[in-house]
Amino acid sequence: MKTEKTLTPLERGGASSQAEGSRRIVLGVQEPDDLDLPTDPLPLNMGPSHPAMHGTVRMVLDVEGEKITSVDLQIGYLHRCFEKEAEHATYTQIFPYTDRLNYVSPMLNNVGYALAVEKLLDIDKKVPERAQFIRVIVGEMSRITDHMTCLGAGAMELGAFTVFLYMLKAREWLYELLEEVSGARLTHSYLRIGGVSADLPEGFSAKLLDIIARSRGVIEECGKLLNKNRIFRDRMDGIGIITREEAIAWGITGPVGRSTGFDYDVRRDHPYLVYDRFNFDVAVGSVGDNFDRYMCRIEEMHQSMRILEQALEQIPDGPVIINDPRIRLPAKSETYNSIEAMIAHFKVIMDGIHVPPGEIYSFTEGGNGELGFYIVSDGSGRPWKCRVRPPCFANVSILPKILPGLFIADIVPTFGMINMIGGECDR
Amino acid sequence: MSELLTKTPGAVGAPPAPLKLVTGPPVPAPERRPVVAPGTEFVTVTIDGHPRQFPKGTNLLEACNQAGAEVPSFCYHAGLSSPAVCRQCLVDVKGQPKPVPSCYTPVTDKMEVITASPRVLDIRRQMLEFTLLNHPIDCPICDKAGECTLQKHYFDWDAKYARNDGVKVEKAKRVDLGRHIVLDQERCILCTRCIRVCDEVAHQSELTMAMRGDHEILTTAPGRRLDNPYSLNTVDVCPVGALTSKDFRFAMRAWELESTPSICPGCATGCNVEIHSSRGEIHRLVPRENPTVNKHWMCDEGRFTYKRVHGGRLVVPESSGIPVEWDRGLADAARLLRDGLDRDVARVGVVFSAQSTNEDLYALSRLTFENLGLTRAYLAGLDQGWADDILVSADKNPNTAGALAIGGGRLKSLLDLSNDIKQGHLTTLLVVGEEGVLGSAGAAALPIDRLEALIVLAWRRDALVEAARVALPMADFAEVDGTFTNRQGRVQRISAAVPPAGDSLPGWEIVSLLSDRLGIPLEFSGTAGPLPAAGGAGPGGPATAGGAEGPAGRSSTLETGRGRGPTARTVFLEAKHKMPFMKDADWGRTSLPVQLRFAHTRG
Repeated sequence: MKTEKTLTPLERGGASSQAEGSRRIVLGVQEPDDLDLPTDPLPLNMGPSHPAMHGTVRMVLDVEGEKITSVDLQIGYLHRCFEKEAEHATYTQIFPYTDRLNYVSPMLNNVGYALAVEKLLDIDKKVPERAQFIRVIVGEMSRITDHMTCLGAGAMELGAFTVFLYMLKAREWLYELLEEVSGARLTHSYLRIGGVSADLPEGFSAKLLDIIARSRGVIEECGKLLNKNRIFRDRMDGIGIITREEAIAWGITGPVGRSTGFDYDVRRDHPYLVYDRFNFDVAVGSVGDNFDRYMCRIEEMHQSMRILEQALEQIPDGPVIINDPRIRLPAKSETYNSIEAMIAHFKVIMDGIHVPPGEIYSFTEGGNGELGFYIVSDGSGRPWKCRVRPPCFANVSILPKILPGLFIADIVPTFGMINMIGGECDR
Repeated sequence: MSELLTKTPGAVGAPPAPLKLVTGPPVPAPERRPVVAPGTEFVTVTIDGHPRQFPKGTNLLEACNQAGAEVPSFCYHAGLSSPAVCRQCLVDVKGQPKPVPSCYTPVTDKMEVITASPRVLDIRRQMLEFTLLNHPIDCPICDKAGECTLQKHYFDWDAKYARNDGVKVEKAKRVDLGRHIVLDQERCILCTRCIRVCDEVAHQSELTMAMRGDHEILTTAPGRRLDNPYSLNTVDVCPVGALTSKDFRFAMRAWELESTPSICPGCATGCNVEIHSSRGEIHRLVPRENPTVNKHWMCDEGRFTYKRVHGGRLVVPESSGIPVEWDRGLADAARLLRDGLDRDVARVGVVFSAQSTNEDLYALSRLTFENLGLTRAYLAGLDQGWADDILVSADKNPNTAGALAIGGGRLKSLLDLSNDIKQGHLTTLLVVGEEGVLGSAGAAALPIDRLEALIVLAWRRDALVEAARVALPMADFAEVDGTFTNRQGRVQRISAAVPPAGDSLPGWEIVSLLSDRLGIPLEFSGTAGPLPAAGGAGPGGPATAGGAEGPAGRSSTLETGRGRGPTARTVFLEAKHKMPFMKDADWGRTSLPVQLRFAHTRG
């Protein structure tokens, strides 16, 4: 039987065939007649336990052949009742819970929550400057670890195991340094209401600058492996396009939103802590496909390192927590030697910090976008309500819209670049 | 960066707005309006700029607290005289050059009070600083931590670190003051509340202050010990952990305790108490304020009645001494009763107990008098004991009045029971509540072996249970919802604080099950529409008539096919309808146990 075969872009060699202005790529052999088989729609279950799915999420796909016709996205497999637990915990006891929201950038969650409570307490201007700089530093370090994890794992799922190990190697340097700062690689609980729990260790600045330099090398290396890599580009270019209008309509922020052209970064647009003192750029994409999201994250890492260098230069000396016995724990030497400090210690821990009644929505730039905390206080030491606005909840909600029409294989890079963190999405 | 949506309290279920305070405790005290007799003269007092009306002669401290302007105090207690020694309650009154002690000042017309001026706040800080100057750093080992007034006032009003060098006056730390109390002299803040309790409540002045200045200590009068029958009230009123109860010392942390309102079962006075329990175990009883019954106090003996709930209980039904399931136990009991009834109704007797709740007694009276038509009924209970004119009754049973009223004059005494058995008038005996059935005369007085069948519904394992043919376990006072009637005829509600021990069930429920087995179901007609809204802290129990109430109330699980069975409330409502002495009784609201952690301080 004579068949006419059209050359695939792969066989044609060279760069992927791109019509001017269009970046849609068609792969595969097109042979008429025999292969135009009628297909039945097949329901296919992907997850919740799946090697290529980040976190636990279930997608029930309707596929025809390889093409997805509909996606039923089911999240919630990692729901651990953060908001309910927060109602029974004192404000300080909630910090370990926030660590476990976006668990690849825990410091950013700590920061978002602490800022919300401090605003309710009306002490947001009284947090010492050194503490604010420290928060920016550890926050940006966490942002870099978030992007490294996302890109490393995303590349690995496309077969680039080397990139995964290189990124994790660099991530380990940051985790080790964060462990020196807070005592844990991931579950830092480093911040406190009114400041941070302890000062930075000695030699921190030198170590961090060294890590930044080495990380730049690692990112460059990974870029050399991926940016012009035929397989990588073919799988990422033009896949999972989100338009800027869709991003705004669906509430998609962070690198995913910026990749569409939606220029919004909370650090620049609604500055908090001391972000207004730094020069940094915000990476904005144009197409909104997987590759743009990848590039936005790479560029954001570079900008975070820029912020870190400036912060290390500008950080002043001073106390690292507000000096109010009703808010901070007294030093141990005082606690054991004075009844006032003993009582203050006792009440701050047992009763919690009394936050005046009120409600607040406070938002910061998390690893995945606008991370919001809505807290209602009733005057006692425990919040009445503590709601988290998870950025990846909105980000992930667009998947049932952009996945249909793509192949099953496209789910992997798309989901990887959306970067759903189960802990944050499901709380 | 962040938006403060609203800072005004009152939004989204937050507690109501307090008066505008300069500083102070963030959680305002709830508004308390006392009941006033008609014809009381009212005066206008302006507190922090807000004019309010108060009955003439109201204590200014009480007035400020009622208005929502919290004024701290140590030595003031609503049930005691007011010496104004601690000086913590000083407030500014317009026209007075010096601040006045509000606990000692009655309100007068057109008084203007400022409770939070800078001078007043400064004075509060200074007084707290003085008080804390020699206070030992005992919080980790002090029983009062978590419910300590000193901790609360320091955190609300002072919150400044120490200015002194930390060298403190040393005094005696573990003074055995008397039968129940240990004194820590260093912790004492010299408020003299305990002295006034002994003077004014117990009328035995055993406590006194000795020495002066920094070295002032609390001690007993020479040659005396603190052993009056109301001594443990001093532990309640002590604002700090100076006076501690030997029974409760180091037993449990205050914030782990849950508080359930109930009535003391020690005597017919029926003092209102709170049962403090944690994880199903009761740790102490403390008095609840009731102006008409016990004011703020209770006697020491009553405090220890909680011990009987956890020791020596009968936990499983027993038939001929062998532990059996409820099904078997009820079947055996019913069979014995049926045999006795078939042979001769006039030779079946029933013993009511003055320790039972009204609901238990009512269910039993319906079974025995209405359904079975028994003629021989007796009343048992603990023997009379000592009494005084302060709180203690000679009648050591909590519900004698209820038992007599429900029995309706048909109940005879234990002496008659003894005689009847001896003379062979009784073959079968059903005892509901074995407390005191044997009485002080002991087993010899009741010739139980002359009975053919003895069925006992018992709280504890004692000799009567050993001798019984069938013994069914009953839930004790702290495990059930119900009512007791005190010597004043007042019907007071008890609530379940801990789950019933083992397999025990409330008395009325066992009676109802027995009645079913005998073929004459007790259908309680106590319906009165939906439950009133749950009060206080809890989100409310299930608001359906017939749903479980409290931790112990559960519908009978043995009757399949009956759906939701009656609850104690159902029985109560029917009894209230039928019994004239209960017509004014109030079941009250479903009260879920309140964790003491959220209750700030007591005393």
